[in-house]
Amino acid sequence: MSELSDELLVAYVDGQLAPKQAQAVDKVLAQDDVLSKRVSALQAAHKRLEAAFDAILAGAEADLAAHPVSRPRGFFVSWSALLQASLATAGMVLAAVMLLAGLGWPLKAPEIVWRDSAAVDMEPVGALPRDWREEVARAQALIGRESLEIGAESQTNAELARFQLARMIGPNLLVPELGAEGLRFARAQVLRFEGKPVAQLLYLDAHGAPFALYAKAGEANEEGAFKRYGAIGAVSFAHDGIAYLIAGEADEPSLVRLAGAVRRKENSSGPEAPASATVPPVPNPKPKP
Amino acid sequence: MQAEDYQDSIKPGLVAMLPRLKRFADLLAGSKREGIALLRRALKRMLAEQHRYQRSIPLDRFAFAELYRQWFEELAAEGGGAREDEDAAQTFAALFPRKEGKDFDPLMAAFLHSLPPQHRATLLLVYGEGFDDIDTGRVLDVAPETIDLRLVRLSASLADCLSGRGQTRARANLARLYAEEAA
Repeated sequence: MSELSDELLVAYVDGQLAPKQAQAVDKVLAQDDVLSKRVSALQAAHKRLEAAFDAILAGAEADLAAHPVSRPRGFFVSWSALLQASLATAGMVLAAVMLLAGLGWPLKAPEIVWRDSAAVDMEPVGALPRDWREEVARAQALIGRESLEIGAESQTNAELARFQLARMIGPNLLVPELGAEGLRFARAQVLRFEGKPVAQLLYLDAHGAPFALYAKAGEANEEGAFKRYGAIGAVSFAHDGIAYLIAGEADEPSLVRLAGAVRRKENSSGPEAPASATVPPVPNPKPKP
Repeated sequence: MQAEDYQDSIKPGLVAMLPRLKRFADLLAGSKREGIALLRRALKRMLAEQHRYQRSIPLDRFAFAELYRQWFEELAAEGGGAREDEDAAQTFAALFPRKEGKDFDPLMAAFLHSLPPQHRATLLLVYGEGFDDIDTGRVLDVAPETIDLRLVRLSASLADCLSGRGQTRARANLARLYAEEAA
C-alpha cells in the first residue's frame, strides 16, 4: 500500500490538486486497491453530504412555504425612508429641471449625490445590483407642481421660504435658524409624498457638508429616533402635529444634538417666543366680494 | 414618529435566500423550532443594522456570517454549553424530510448530529453552499487553514463510517481534529 495522506486524498477528491499532482495520484490509485477504495469512500461521503444538505434545503423550503418568516413589503417604503433614500437624487433631478428652465440652481446640492454614491454604491456584487433608474424614478415621485412653483429667489431666502412652507405644511412649522450649531441655511423647497407636501430645508456646515431638515404634517407626536441609511444618518421626531427628519452625513451624537437644537426652538416658538424664531403668521385670504 | 426601516436594499436579497439561511440556522441550532427562532432574530438584526453591509461583499456571505454571529453570541451568553435534551437526536433527524415513510439517511443524520455545530456548519458551507475555504473561514471567523483541516478530518471520519472501517477509526479522526484545533 502506498502512503498517501488523507489531506492529499481529500484535496484530490475535491479537485483541489494541480493537474500534474492529480495525474500522479491517478497512477498510484490504478495500482493500489486499498487507496482506490479509500478515494471511493471519500467520494461517496461527499456525495452523501451533498444529498443530505439538499434534502434539508428541500425541507426548509417546504417549512417556509407553510410558515413564511416574513413577507417583503413590495415597493412601499415609509415617507421618511423614501425621503432619505431620495435626498440626493431629488436634488439632482430637480436641479436638472430648473437648469433647463434657466432658473439656476445652487451647484453644491449635487455634491450630496456623489458623496453618497461614493460611500455606498461601490462595485455591485451579490444579489443586490443597484439601479440608478430606480433611485431616480423614486426621486421623481417626490417632485410635485409646488416644487417648481416656488421660485429660485424664494428658495434661498429664509424669510420667503418660511412664509411659503408654512402655508403648505402648517402654521406650526418652524424653519429654524441653526447658526449656533454651525449650520447656514442654503435653500428650501417643497416635495410631495402620497399627495401630501413635504418641506425640505437644506443647510450647509462650515465645511460645506449638507444637512437637511424635512417636515411633513399630520404625524402623531413621538420621541426622537436615530437611524442610519448607508452613509446618511437621520433623527426623526414629531411636534405639534408635524413630523421632522433631520439627516446628513454625520454621526449619531451630532444629529441628535441638531435635533435637540431644532426641538428647543420648537419649544420656544410659543406666543412669547421671539418673532425671529417663529413662522410668520399665515395671512387669511380676503373674502371675495 | 420613528424613521421607518429602510429595508428595501438588502431585504429582497435576504428573502430570496431564506431557505438557504433556514437550513444553516437549523443545522446550527440542531432543530427546526430553534432554527426558525434563531433565523428570525438574526434577520431582525440584519435589517436593523444593515448599514454594516458593504456591497463589495456578496450578500450571502454577509448573511451567513451574521447568522453565525447571532448563534455564537447567544451561545456565549448562555455560558457556552450545548443544549441537549432527551429527544435531541430525533429532533435533529427531523431536519431531514422522510421519504416514502422512511427516514432519509439515518447514518448521515447520526453522523452530523454527533458533530459540534461549528463543524456541521463547515461541511454545509463547503458541500452544501459551495463556498471555498476562504469564504467559509470568513463566515465562521476562523482561518482557512482551520477549514481545510476540518474538511480533511471530517471527510475521513465520514468515509470511515460509510465504508465500514468502524466507528472507532471514525471517532479517532474526530478526536484528532479536536486536538489539532485546540492546539
